[in-house]
Amino acid sequence: MTLLEVENLSVTYSPRDSAAVRAVDKVDFGIEEGEFVGLLGESGCGKSTLGHAILRLLEKPAAITGGSITFDGRDITHLDEDELRPLRWADLSTVFQSSMNSLNPVITVREQFADTFAAHPEAAGDRPDVDARAGELLEMVSLGRDVLRRYPHELSGGMKQRVALALALALRPRFVLLDEPTTGLDVVVQRDILDRLRELQRKLGFAVLFISHDLGTVMEMADRVMVMYAGEIVEDQPAGDMIESQLHPYSAGLLGSYADPRDEVVQVAFVPGRPPDLSREHAGCLFEPRCPVSVDACRTEHPELLPAGRGQARCLLVEQSPDDGALLRDVAPTDRLGGVFSADSEPRARGAADTEPVMVVDGVGKTYRTKRGVRTTTTRAVDDVSFALRPGRVSALVGQSGSGKTTIARLITGVERPSSGTIRFKDTRVDTLRRRAMRRYRRHVQLVFQDPFSALNPTRTIAYALGRPLRNHLGMTGEQARQRAAELLETVGLSPAEQYLDKLPGQLSGGQRQRVVIARALAPQPEVIVADEPISMLDVSIRAEIVELLDRLVRERGIAMLYITHDLLSARLLADEVMVLNQGVMVEHGPTLEVIGQARDAYTRRLLAAIPRPGRSRESWPDEPPNEAERVPAGS
Amino acid sequence: MTYFVRRAGFFLATLWAAVTLNFLIPRLQPGDPAQAILSRLTGKSQAVDPAQLEAVRKMLGAPDGNLLAQYGDYLGALAHGQFGISYTYYPYTVTDVIGDAIPWTLVLVGVTQILSFFIGTVLGAWAAYRRNTRADSWITLGSTFVGTLPFFWLALLLIFVFAITLRWFPDGGGYGGGSQPGWNWLFFSDAFQHSVLPGLSLLITGPIGWILGMRNNMVQTLGEDYARLARAKGLSRRRIALTYGARIAILPNVTGFAIALGSILGGTVLVETIFNYPGMGRLLLEAVSNKDFPLMQTLFLFTTVGVLIANFLADVAYGFLDPRVRRTEAA
Repeated sequence: MTLLEVENLSVTYSPRDSAAVRAVDKVDFGIEEGEFVGLLGESGCGKSTLGHAILRLLEKPAAITGGSITFDGRDITHLDEDELRPLRWADLSTVFQSSMNSLNPVITVREQFADTFAAHPEAAGDRPDVDARAGELLEMVSLGRDVLRRYPHELSGGMKQRVALALALALRPRFVLLDEPTTGLDVVVQRDILDRLRELQRKLGFAVLFISHDLGTVMEMADRVMVMYAGEIVEDQPAGDMIESQLHPYSAGLLGSYADPRDEVVQVAFVPGRPPDLSREHAGCLFEPRCPVSVDACRTEHPELLPAGRGQARCLLVEQSPDDGALLRDVAPTDRLGGVFSADSEPRARGAADTEPVMVVDGVGKTYRTKRGVRTTTTRAVDDVSFALRPGRVSALVGQSGSGKTTIARLITGVERPSSGTIRFKDTRVDTLRRRAMRRYRRHVQLVFQDPFSALNPTRTIAYALGRPLRNHLGMTGEQARQRAAELLETVGLSPAEQYLDKLPGQLSGGQRQRVVIARALAPQPEVIVADEPISMLDVSIRAEIVELLDRLVRERGIAMLYITHDLLSARLLADEVMVLNQGVMVEHGPTLEVIGQARDAYTRRLLAAIPRPGRSRESWPDEPPNEAERVPAGS
Repeated sequence: MTYFVRRAGFFLATLWAAVTLNFLIPRLQPGDPAQAILSRLTGKSQAVDPAQLEAVRKMLGAPDGNLLAQYGDYLGALAHGQFGISYTYYPYTVTDVIGDAIPWTLVLVGVTQILSFFIGTVLGAWAAYRRNTRADSWITLGSTFVGTLPFFWLALLLIFVFAITLRWFPDGGGYGGGSQPGWNWLFFSDAFQHSVLPGLSLLITGPIGWILGMRNNMVQTLGEDYARLARAKGLSRRRIALTYGARIAILPNVTGFAIALGSILGGTVLVETIFNYPGMGRLLLEAVSNKDFPLMQTLFLFTTVGVLIANFLADVAYGFLDPRVRRTEAA
């Protein structure tokens, strides 16, 4: 029997001061006992809302406005909180998005297990032995029993996530909802956790709905994958079939964002445009404005989710083709994708490797001292690192969290001074600059941050955000600054600029915000840009767009870029050379394809193995202790 | 453990700094108190007789010796609880004067502050627990409304209604009606009668800040992921509200409460003035208007030390309540 049956489910957000938004629209699907189902979609497509609706955790202003949810034959759509309580966790449990904040900060891990047991005497027994059972659960997720006595802030992100997973399995639920459970964790840690999760799922036999925007992971983990777009399920297929052929053009676009960075020619696609405004009625297919293969009928006719192949799809083209999905399959992959960004083995027509460097880092080291009582511990964050940045070239700095990447960025931008070695910008010694000179220097070196959501002041307009560096570094004010801000927006592809100048960051999508952040970095006409994981927080479908933008800027403006990342695919696409950092030491460096193609360092190889390659069996791990990447951050 | 040792260290260091500043500031001020007193007595234009000046100095016990020696004497006197002689209540010592005033303030303001915090926290937590219901609206709107009323107006209204019109309570003072301060029933019941109106006025206005602060903090914590997870875990509403809501939301208020407790020693000038209450606040007002330097200086010292002690206690409490600070500090 179907364990979870979702029929015609709609969820509407009705905020008091704006139009109602249909976040989930007539969604229909079932999950069998023990089945692992993936739910894929970009941010804002309604996947988390759907998840919360299934768990009956929606809070005002969101509410279920139609349809039903049946769990194990029982309609739970309208149960009240008291009727739901025995079902919660004992039958349906969950791991939330990245869990950084899903453990109570003021009570120990043990207590969080204890209150779960106490709330469910029917499932846990009247007097459960908390230490024994919770300890066992922790061991199941490769954590020691001593974690029980710890508080959440004493654990690393990966450890917290393991605790959350152990907690989710505490009462042996039959269904677990995983809502982006590993987003924000180090790639290698992510891998470890997901592997363990799949193993446990096979062993314990619970059903899973795995929500993620990370297509590669979903494809690898799930038996069946559903793709959600603008509140609707647009495709539902067994994972294996979907890898072979995607029915919906949107799925094709998503799948196109992956490639093997070791290939001679690497090509990734993106889906241009943004999802539709769901507070308005749309007549035709919701994906039509972004669809590269749409026909006239798409604009007027709303497709239904109809059987296709061994699954279902919501697309007129699929519907009309005699052989399911054949029409789409015949179109060349590059043509059915909105945009393509590719890198081949040929050197870029950009700055040559022998041009005069603008920035030379020579034998730089940075030591941090932390005082704990009378003892002083020193940490070598960066050790004897040397490299040069050249105009028109991108150098990628690759390494796991804590390897010293960000410290190098701070040293280059002059936020911190090196403990040893020298940093030269043209003829200036950066490491000895003082106040005024440092301010002048900063004009030439700008930063692009990782998180576009916190990098912009939410209470100030875009024009203001761009106006600040123009005023501080170039002395521009008033109409002149506004004019230049508009030009900058056009440069980063936000056009027409007038439409964006007076908006607040909150009114823009993640990708648009990151473009603004890039525009701000360009404002003082810098010669060096340090981009610290600029795409890792963005949706997969638009990452390639930003990579393309960065590439274009570097090429057109002859900027030297230090691209910090742990994503080898984007490094391959963007960088001319790659440097691999491990515990502050540069372990590998050289031309991109060389380093990636013949990776020698264990960490680089693990990073490569961690890149999801749907449909291909993953390479085995290099022999390394699995928890190496998860040391408790020291004193952070 | 290191956390508590460090906190204690900080406390002692700030205490020393406060005591020393209290010593230095009056000495760094220009002018001579004896001269000032004499000028006031004789009128500005007239010349001051050096002998008179000397006499006043003697009377005040103006210090001699160099600054370091004075500092030593000052510390010694502090250690023995000697703060000099009050100009206003000559020949009583400052210690006597303060000793008379302090119980009144401690009892009235102390009790109302603690009650206010308690009431405010409970009401605020209740409002957050029942957020967006009628109970929440009543509590939030009600306290915002009362918060807009001027305090003195509220106090005068209380006096007008309960003391003058209804004659249920006396309209001012700390005691009266034939009782004398002492450990007897008559005095206590009398003092209680006198404290009802000032106490009530403090209790009406006191909890407002705590209510709004607690409600807003708690609404926020209840919106966090861990509270949502607690709901998904099927915990009871009570457990969620207490452990995942109030327990975390109360933390920022603890510091505020400590500072409020610390400032008790300074008294509340407005209340004590309106109700003619014989506490520290009124004393401070008198000291300032009479330029009673020894008294003023001591009152300031008391307030500072009070706030410091309360802060230290808050830090200690915080260490127990919030495991996060212990570690962050240690690292």
